[in-house]
Amino acid sequence: MKKIYNIIWKDTILRFSSLSELLFFLILPLIFTFILAGGTGTQNADNRIRLLVVDQAQSPLSAQIIAELAKSATVRPDVLTLSKAESEFQARNASVLLVIPADCDSQTLRTAAIVLDLRQMPDNLNAQAAQRAVQAVLYRLGSAVSIAKNAVTEAEKLRSFASELDRQAYFDTALASAQSLMNSAPDRENVVMGGTIDPIQYDPRANSSAGQMITWVFIPLIGISGAFAYERQRGTLRRLLTSPTGKGTYLLGTILGNVLWSLVQMTLLVSFGALILKVHWANNPAALAVMMTTSALAAAALGTMLGTFVKTEAQASGLSIMLGMVMALLGGCWYPLELFPAVVQNLVKVLPTTWAMQGMLDILLRGQGVIGILPVAGVLLAFAAVFFVIGILRFKYE
Amino acid sequence: MKAILEVKQLVKKYGDFTAVDGISFDIMEGEIFSLLGPNGAGKTTTISMLSTLYIPTSGEAVIGGHSVTKEPMAVRNLIGVVPQDLALYEDLTARENLAFWGQMYGLSGKTLNARIEQVLEQIGLVDKAKDRVKTYSGGMKRRVNIGVGLLHKPKLLFMDEPTVGIDPQSRRLILDSVKELNKQGMTVLYTTHYMEEAEELSDRVGIMDNGKLIALGTQAELTKQVGEMETLILHVGENDDPERLAVALRSLKMVRKADVTDHTVSVIVPEAEQALAPAVTRANELGIKIHSVDMREPNLEAVFLHLTGKALRD
Ligand SMILES: Nc1ncnc2c1ncn2[C@@H]1O[C@H](COP(=O)(O)OP(=O)(O)OP(=O)(O)O)[C@@H](O)[C@H]1O
Ligand SMILES: [Mg+2]
Repeated sequence: MKKIYNIIWKDTILRFSSLSELLFFLILPLIFTFILAGGTGTQNADNRIRLLVVDQAQSPLSAQIIAELAKSATVRPDVLTLSKAESEFQARNASVLLVIPADCDSQTLRTAAIVLDLRQMPDNLNAQAAQRAVQAVLYRLGSAVSIAKNAVTEAEKLRSFASELDRQAYFDTALASAQSLMNSAPDRENVVMGGTIDPIQYDPRANSSAGQMITWVFIPLIGISGAFAYERQRGTLRRLLTSPTGKGTYLLGTILGNVLWSLVQMTLLVSFGALILKVHWANNPAALAVMMTTSALAAAALGTMLGTFVKTEAQASGLSIMLGMVMALLGGCWYPLELFPAVVQNLVKVLPTTWAMQGMLDILLRGQGVIGILPVAGVLLAFAAVFFVIGILRFKYE
Repeated sequence: MKAILEVKQLVKKYGDFTAVDGISFDIMEGEIFSLLGPNGAGKTTTISMLSTLYIPTSGEAVIGGHSVTKEPMAVRNLIGVVPQDLALYEDLTARENLAFWGQMYGLSGKTLNARIEQVLEQIGLVDKAKDRVKTYSGGMKRRVNIGVGLLHKPKLLFMDEPTVGIDPQSRRLILDSVKELNKQGMTVLYTTHYMEEAEELSDRVGIMDNGKLIALGTQAELTKQVGEMETLILHVGENDDPERLAVALRSLKMVRKADVTDHTVSVIVPEAEQALAPAVTRANELGIKIHSVDMREPNLEAVFLHLTGKALRD
């Protein structure tokens, strides 16, 4: 154990012996996070996407839709008259406009579909996100409606309604109870519906804080390959392996040290995100700790494996910067994955960065806890296991 | 006397190429043993196998009763290694390097600190201990490289060409400290391609070439084994004719050969000292003036030349 501590200590002195390391460790990540987040956040600012809403129905149902939208984490409904909303939309003061038609009431709903009019700026990320959020709300309401419809049909089999008014009243009650049931189990709905209705939630601050953290932590961890190349080139690895220190101790010390430093780095970056950018990193500290550790292990394992393929330290450092950047870009750390074609979105699942980013956003934007991110953490651990095994089996002193 | 190292039929192949070709030798406790050989002879490969870094293709080596292949950890506790190429962290200071490596050899606390001070003293770098190794001269780096191998007071120290490419002062310091360490009881396996170093340091010498151990013994044994004569070299004046002297000397009974080059006559005799007086007398008789005289004992260089037909250094 003492030897492992000594190896970590030695690596730490070596790493920070040049001040330029601080640039990669903290300065660049902070600058990029700040720029991509679009500046600082304020504690109470509502940074949801502005959604223009025109309520032509003025019915309980339309009020309900607006209330549901107001609860969304993604959009902030702003109810206006049609002309005002249209001029705002034309002026590009908002990227989405939702018109709720006059026939939107539970009476129409019981017998027919209602068509809502959603206008959005083309190729606009916020508009896409808002669209998903609106869809999610409508889907939830729609499910409740179909349950209520079924309830009416079933009830009618048992007894007949005295009047159309009676039937409508029964429908309204069924709808209300279906809605409250669905609202009380939002998690279940997310899980069951999976990717199809899971709303994209894009928050520049959260995405930047999480994405930049992953980028700048993966680069030095992949750089473990450089540490191996360095020790091989200097002959210190050969010397170490003629001392009573085993290869296992060396690997463990080197990897552990780098993982610990990456945790320090992540803690600093998370603090910056939470304090300056007001990103909700404190949502679930336990889940965050799991994500940080598993992400770091996956990246460290990748570095260990690459260390057995690279020849020189220079090669390793070039490779780790390039690979770290490319994997971060493709993993959705710089731009939301939803901007990529569906095929690409599936392809990039072979990258650990994709999963790391997903897990972080699960915590930040989708309110997931330890249980919720376990599948993602599991995938990251599987990456770590595979890379470590290859790396350790192939590990050599020259 | 007890053998601390026994090497039996050690072979190392890289693919089809045989770098070490079935060498066998023992090293006795308290001895300085040199492996002398030109570039590519297989010295480093041999040390790498003995220090448990390479697994031999075949053969066996036992150090202090432990097999290098079967009990590498036990062997590593007994040996110290000074690799041919520097193996240091140049961004650390000499003291930090010593501290790190000492800990890797299992030292800690007061023992470690005391050893670091002693070693710094030994390698003459007390004043510079706080400077980063990368600011050192080549010779100073080599000294730190040696110091690292000494920290844990190994029973058997491997030194692989520790004086390559350094200034005469550092070389002197290193050779002297090897002798000093040996006096304190450390057994040393020293490799070199400098004949003078092997001659100065070693109790016994093994001569290596092309992966084979072509000769083994004390210097006296080796030179005798070759049966080399001594050489008496007479330098004559500019106006004198060395050829006349050579002809006269050939008639002496003890002289096997007398060759002329420029203004010198090289005389091959069993004992150079005994030949000196008769040779000078002959020169006087001929009126030839002798400016100076050299005597060459048979040396390892000559042994190598004799065994391989080539010079040790090319
Ligand atoms: N890893 C390797 N792969 C292939 N050939 C090697 C390897 N290491 C050494 N050799 C070859 O084995 C031979 C012996 O090399 P070695 O380094 O043991 O010689 P040496 O006596 O130490 O020489 P020097 O005085 O130059 O250090 C050389 O011909 C060298 O090219
Ligand atoms: Mg060598």
